[in-house]
Amino acid sequence: MTTIMIDSIIVIAIAGPLLGSIITAVLGPRFLRDRSHIPAIAGVSVAFVASLLLAGYLCFGLAGGDTAPRSPESADLDFGISSDFAMGIERIVTLWTWAHVDQAYRAPSLPSVASPIDRPFAIAVSLRIDPLTVFMLVTVTSVSLLVVIYSIGYMAGDPGYWRFFTYMCLFVFSMMMLVSVSNFLLLYIFWEAVGLCSYLLIGFWYTRPAAAAAGKKAFLVNRVGDFGFALGVFLLWTAYGTLDMHDTHLVPGILGETRIAAGPSGFVGGTLGLGICMLLFLGACGKSAQFPLHVWLPDAMEGPTPVSALIHAATMVTAGVYLVARCAPLFHAVPEAQVVVCLIGTVTALLAAFIALSQTDVKRILAYSTISQLGYMFAAAGLSTVTAVAAAMFHLFTHAFFKALLFLSAGSLMHALSGEIDLRQFGGLRRKLPLTHLMFLVGGLALAGVAPLAGFWSKDAILHEIAEQENRLPMASLVFWGLVLGAGLTAFYIFRAYFLAFWGPERLPESSGGYVHESPPVMLVPMLLLALGAVGAGWVSFLPGGVSGLLQLTPSLVAVGGEQAAEPAHLEHLSFGPKHLHELAHHIPVISTAVAVGGILLAAIIYLPYGRPLLTVVWTLTRGIGLYALSYGKLFIDEVYEGAIVRPLRALASLCSTLDQRVIDLRAVDGTAQAIRTAGQALRTLGHGMLPGYALAMLTIVVLLLAFMML
Amino acid sequence: MEVLLIISLFLPTLGALAIWVGAAPPRQTALVVAVTVLVMALVLAGGYRGAERHDGVPGEFAVIDDLGWLGVSTPWLDIRLSVGLDGLSLPLYILTTLLTVVAIIVSWEEIKLGPRAFYGHLLLLETAMLGVFAARDVILFYVFFELTLLPLYFLIGIWGSEARQYAAIKFFLFTLAGSVLTFLALLAISFWHGYNVGRLTFSIPEITAGLRARPMEFSAQLAIFLGLFAGFAIKVPLIPFHTWLPLAHVEAPTAGSILLAGILLKVGSYGFVRFCLPLLPEATVACLPWLVTLSVAGVVYGSFVALAQQDLKRLIAYSSIGHLGFCMLGVFSLSRAGVAGGVLQMINHGISTGALFALVGMLYERFHTRQIAAYGGLARKMPVWAFFMGLMVLASIGLPGLNGFAGEVLVLIGFFQRVWGQSQCPPEWFTYLAALSVLATFGVVLAAWYMLWMTERVVFGPVRLPVARGKNSEDQSEPPPSRHPHGVDSLGTESHPGENLWDLKPREIWALCPLAILVVWIGVQPSFFLRMFEPTLSYLVGPAERALLRRLPAEELPLGAFVHFSRSITSGSKAQTPPESFNDCDFDIGNLFESRSTVLGWARHPEAIIRQTQSRNGGLLSEGCAFGSSSPHASVMNPRKRLSEFEALIAAQCSGSTDLGLTRE
Repeated sequence: MTTIMIDSIIVIAIAGPLLGSIITAVLGPRFLRDRSHIPAIAGVSVAFVASLLLAGYLCFGLAGGDTAPRSPESADLDFGISSDFAMGIERIVTLWTWAHVDQAYRAPSLPSVASPIDRPFAIAVSLRIDPLTVFMLVTVTSVSLLVVIYSIGYMAGDPGYWRFFTYMCLFVFSMMMLVSVSNFLLLYIFWEAVGLCSYLLIGFWYTRPAAAAAGKKAFLVNRVGDFGFALGVFLLWTAYGTLDMHDTHLVPGILGETRIAAGPSGFVGGTLGLGICMLLFLGACGKSAQFPLHVWLPDAMEGPTPVSALIHAATMVTAGVYLVARCAPLFHAVPEAQVVVCLIGTVTALLAAFIALSQTDVKRILAYSTISQLGYMFAAAGLSTVTAVAAAMFHLFTHAFFKALLFLSAGSLMHALSGEIDLRQFGGLRRKLPLTHLMFLVGGLALAGVAPLAGFWSKDAILHEIAEQENRLPMASLVFWGLVLGAGLTAFYIFRAYFLAFWGPERLPESSGGYVHESPPVMLVPMLLLALGAVGAGWVSFLPGGVSGLLQLTPSLVAVGGEQAAEPAHLEHLSFGPKHLHELAHHIPVISTAVAVGGILLAAIIYLPYGRPLLTVVWTLTRGIGLYALSYGKLFIDEVYEGAIVRPLRALASLCSTLDQRVIDLRAVDGTAQAIRTAGQALRTLGHGMLPGYALAMLTIVVLLLAFMML
Repeated sequence: MEVLLIISLFLPTLGALAIWVGAAPPRQTALVVAVTVLVMALVLAGGYRGAERHDGVPGEFAVIDDLGWLGVSTPWLDIRLSVGLDGLSLPLYILTTLLTVVAIIVSWEEIKLGPRAFYGHLLLLETAMLGVFAARDVILFYVFFELTLLPLYFLIGIWGSEARQYAAIKFFLFTLAGSVLTFLALLAISFWHGYNVGRLTFSIPEITAGLRARPMEFSAQLAIFLGLFAGFAIKVPLIPFHTWLPLAHVEAPTAGSILLAGILLKVGSYGFVRFCLPLLPEATVACLPWLVTLSVAGVVYGSFVALAQQDLKRLIAYSSIGHLGFCMLGVFSLSRAGVAGGVLQMINHGISTGALFALVGMLYERFHTRQIAAYGGLARKMPVWAFFMGLMVLASIGLPGLNGFAGEVLVLIGFFQRVWGQSQCPPEWFTYLAALSVLATFGVVLAAWYMLWMTERVVFGPVRLPVARGKNSEDQSEPPPSRHPHGVDSLGTESHPGENLWDLKPREIWALCPLAILVVWIGVQPSFFLRMFEPTLSYLVGPAERALLRRLPAEELPLGAFVHFSRSITSGSKAQTPPESFNDCDFDIGNLFESRSTVLGWARHPEAIIRQTQSRNGGLLSEGCAFGSSSPHASVMNPRKRLSEFEALIAAQCSGSTDLGLTRE
């Protein structure tokens, strides 16, 4: 495979969904109608196959020795781990120049020398091929393909059929660009583009006020995060003088070889570095729904279920994790930033799991579960070493499969029950919907982290990293035990939903009219494939070198691998508690399995029919101390925002409007005009036409002038 | 080229005369003339040759300079009918011709009363607007500047809505008050130039070149700046001189709103770039904190007021204030990226806001109300309208991939670099400007809020159509309102074309298409347009930028900021050892400073370089940098004395080339 072929593969991969989107949009409403899925599926399939080819290129060195200057020399299946590749594998494909301003960055030199530093502001549309990108591409395209196929059945008969597939393709395109571009400004562009697709798809059934409002809320909360991201990008520009990740002939890139070669000093540290990292992380919090910007994700469930599965569980919301993983060297240079990321991740994981305990809408339970699992990823990614980032990416990978599976199962439930998804309205469906039941069970076991399903391996990897690297993290024990507790809660809430929906006496919602049917094969087959993923995705870690073996050839992760990672963060003043976690590292599988099984058993005891008395006891207890209300009310964060931010700002807006019309316009502007008119009226009396008066005025002025000149 | 320019400039006037004397059918003539002028402008653009110089001015072309004023050119009063285009005026010239076509198409059925006068005024307005951008003579500029007022006054006052008279007179007086001061200031510049630099001339390029060589005294600059500011700030409009704008927009007919927002507001920002930056650099720099404050206030305040509006046109009018705030922020960042972004934002705002006014006008034509509360769920009843509305709303809130983003991001990049960059602005301004920079970025969030809220209420949600109130008999022929005006359906019905009786007609779609294409084009490839501005802008911005850098205290100069990743070191080899001699450094003029400081460091104390490399503060910042302190910039490691020794050394190294700029220009 030649270089040019590799370059064209990534371009083809990304062009596929874009073309699919355009063709669907043009032909959909008139010609394709209920066949509108054809271009979409073709486009996404192309993307999937091309992504697999790229993965093959990276893993097995299909390219041979003459391609990339630093590609694996041989195909000896050692996954390219070799001392020759100290800088990792990276290919850059530049398409066109987006913007270019000469001499944008000018700084003065000495007064006697007029020639200043000149740096152009140059943004080229460059794509990159490296293990991290390809890892994301494979994850995104595989789940997307399955979900899009599932949508054929789920969306059948919807009047907006073509619109749905147009948006989905546009989303896949934007997401692929997001993980492939090699420039922070372009990353921001596609960051917003996936947000737009999310906005359009959440509000897909726009005639429902709740859907329109949820779309707006998602866009706005994301905008708050993007505000941070944008500030971060601007500060990157002022600090580094470029926004490219790779080295160009003009200037060394932010994550380019030159800086990696220079070690930690190649990256801005100190307060400015902390500011940049925190602002980028704010953007990640918005997109990945981390506390305190998580409020939009549960509402986003107003969209069609395939959208929830693909965008709001498997792919788009992981963009924040990708950003932190990609910027690992930047975070690595600022230990304080790492602590913040880990803590926010842990707090989110716990809070979201706590809220999920009492929700009654299955999709909302899954939404909070997504938030919680993303918290796990951030807790690991925040450590910013190559193994920890690999653990986060591993969890991202497995989570994509089992969470998509859970959502699609929920969608299958909705499909069967005519749109009903409230756990209080139905139950005991395991006989009516045997396949859906099985799928949900597999997804639930994977999420709970039961061996040997996918979630078990990746969650353990995260816990393992935190235990191993406790020296780098001052509050490691807090984070560790928090995440273990979160794992128990996770197992409990997902099996609560499972038992309520599928066990116990059979109950059907009234709206279904007593008729319940299993979904068509076009929906069940993708679910089956995802179930295989949910079972087997975790076995990736048995490949030689594991996930970190795959990812450590990413140039930006090279900077945080090896001996760099061993160096502890300089945050002794923050640390507390004895360091003993690494002794636990070998017992993590036991701990996590115990916690998961405990959670499942507890759910079984309480929510299976014979546990009814116990359920009453638990209810009374939790209600008594207000825990239930707190969980059911989602910690009242929405209400706090409404009262503390939205209303004051709206009040300020009407105040400004009043000020504008009543004070500035009426008093200042019209007042001036009125004053001039009044003055004119006053002066008019002087022009009364009586000669003696004029003569008197003239005489007075002459006398005054004379007096003035004499004095 | 020159002939084409002069024809395209006055053809609309001829058309207006033909319509007025009754020799031609008004609508059709106006459209033909406007389209012809648009084609001519595009041909003119084809003749643009970028950085090519005309009389030493980069980017100028199609210049006509030898026509005396009304045929009389006297040596003591050298006023000429001098027109030409450059990288700044050409895009605005094309935008004017394009928006005039759109305005005419949009008015096609809206204007029933006195079409003869209406289209005549519209064409006269086009000449005036084109003239403002093409004028190369101060007096001519002012004549066109004032000429824009009259036709627009009549357009608002005759064809506007209820409070049209009040709006028209307010607009007229407000603008006139400012422009008189502007005129005096322009005259003062010409006379100062005449007395102190050379002969008395009113030629803008000649004055620009003259004042570059010999700047005015600071006090004179300041006084003149205030005069220019009065006129341009009202025109832009900057807060608090903006109150005429929402009123004029709300009352104006659709065509008037489009041209007012699209072109006439740009006259103000154009004036700032054309006159203030190159002619009065020190005064601009001195007023910089104030100007930036007003710009950011426009962004934030405009957005807040827009949030509270109930009237669609008022909301868009206040959003204009926000957008123009961004535009001025870019201009006053005095950096290349910022000014380029500001100019791009002028174009963007013309396109997207012009289109938004056109869309609201189409709605008003159908339902005779502009109240947001009166509408709902229009995406179902008017899907094509909703598509264009959605696109323009997204463009307006700066969605990446569309034009608004390109402008905003360049503006903010430019401004951030000016504030946060190393040795970019005086340290005493840092804290204040840093706060403003964050506030300006926050304005982007606010813009999304009010625009999307409006979209949510008008475009989405349950269908709600106001009952069409027929003003006159023609309205009866329009389609009847929906049989189920309050019908709520969970699913859209876009697959039933028969229901879309209210949707856009082909004529209206044709008017919007070019704008939609531009929105996407500028968003995907802004470099095409930036390249057009580049030569002219760097010529115009240069003096002010240098004036700003001159204000930096000596200790702010980044002598200590050894850029150890500088291109000069890394391009050849990745060796971490100092080069043997100066010749090993890739020594180029653009990077003279970097190279020199590097050379200085290598030669004198390599151990300092190594220490720097090992310190945690890498990148472009030296050790002394403290984030958020009063001095964000690089600390000084080095007194001047040592540098002067090396200055001579470097000069000797570079003795081959004389254009090193080792002396002040």
